[in-house]
Amino acid sequence: MAYKIFNIVGEYAITAESGQKVYDEIHPVLFAGNPVELDFTGVKVFASLFFNVAIGQLLKDIPADKLNRLVEFTAISSDGWNVLERVITNAKHYYSDKEFRNAVDVVIAEQAATL
Amino acid sequence: MLLETKNQANLILYVTNIDDNPYHFNKLFKLRDEIEALPQDCLNIKVDFHYCEFLGHYGVAFLGGLFRLIELRGGSLTFDWNTLPDKIRMNLAQNGFLYDFGFNTKPWDGNSIPYRNDLHQNMSAIADYLKYNWLGKGWVNISPRLQDAITGRVLEIYLNAFDHSQSAMGVFSCGQHYPKLGFLHLTVIDFGIGIPSSVRSLPQNLDKTANEALKWAFEPGNSTKQDSISRGAGLNLLQEFIIKNHGNLTIFSNDGYVNISDNRVIYENKCTNFRGTLINIALRCDESYYCLASEVHQLKRRLF
Repeated sequence: MAYKIFNIVGEYAITAESGQKVYDEIHPVLFAGNPVELDFTGVKVFASLFFNVAIGQLLKDIPADKLNRLVEFTAISSDGWNVLERVITNAKHYYSDKEFRNAVDVVIAEQAATL
Repeated sequence: MLLETKNQANLILYVTNIDDNPYHFNKLFKLRDEIEALPQDCLNIKVDFHYCEFLGHYGVAFLGGLFRLIELRGGSLTFDWNTLPDKIRMNLAQNGFLYDFGFNTKPWDGNSIPYRNDLHQNMSAIADYLKYNWLGKGWVNISPRLQDAITGRVLEIYLNAFDHSQSAMGVFSCGQHYPKLGFLHLTVIDFGIGIPSSVRSLPQNLDKTANEALKWAFEPGNSTKQDSISRGAGLNLLQEFIIKNHGNLTIFSNDGYVNISDNRVIYENKCTNFRGTLINIALRCDESYYCLASEVHQLKRRLF
């Protein structure tokens, strides 16, 4: 399935909200094992928060190997690619490092307990 | 900058020269504390510009924050516009600062970079501001592709401020083009909790000094926002961009200071404590200084 990202977020791929819109569209398709093509034609400005939510979050419950097979990025600028690569490196660490995840979960639990 | 008593209920704020001198920054940071410490019935303040002959973009953004802080605390401001020197009046009128504070002249499109106060996170409006009002005035010799890349990196400053600062007054910005030096500047200020305080809100960071906390914030993957989303790429990408492209980034936040320039990153603990964060970014005005990633990524298949 092909998605024109410009039609979802416009020329700025920068916010968590726009990232969530993309994630909500593609996650069920990928989770079911179907391929997606993300076409960034017309999208000009990228910020890490957008990719954290739209793409990094996929690694929560879909293995990296599967994503490598199923996701294709097209017409993305070199700057967008640079941000995307960094976000995926962070996300792989975040979602695969059990100790790291546990440490984060402890912090979240402690903070929740103080509320 | 002087805050003097006219009588018990009325204070006069004398705005003096403000440029990028560290002494001037310290005066501004102390003034913010003085205003915070004033009792509510002493917040009727008259603003006088008699002693001001130069007001840099740092000063414009900072004064905007100070004035909004006074209003937020229930105070009132009376501006003695007649004391403004003509040159400064013209600049402040054109960049919208005067209009934002009740002066009856609407800003106009000219050579100054507009002053902004973003109370809420409207990232598309901020992206437009960076792209068209800051970079897009024709004084920066860069391609549209680089313009977009710079906009994306600088947006990380705003995203960080809105996500972490807890500023009740939003974010204040102003910029300046320095043609002789070949630099374009932008200052972004919030009067929130500050980056070191935010970093120390995590139990594992409680003992960090200000400079250790700032270093932590710039490391990839580190974020004080702890939810189910991985974060912490923005400041690291910004740092990398500044170093690669011969720019300069200065941060004052709480008692921490960072300066990032060509292959050099300095972290320091300062004696003056600023309750908030001031970030100034300075970029070269010529594309020949820049190094962007090539398009070879199109061949790379294994991204995850």
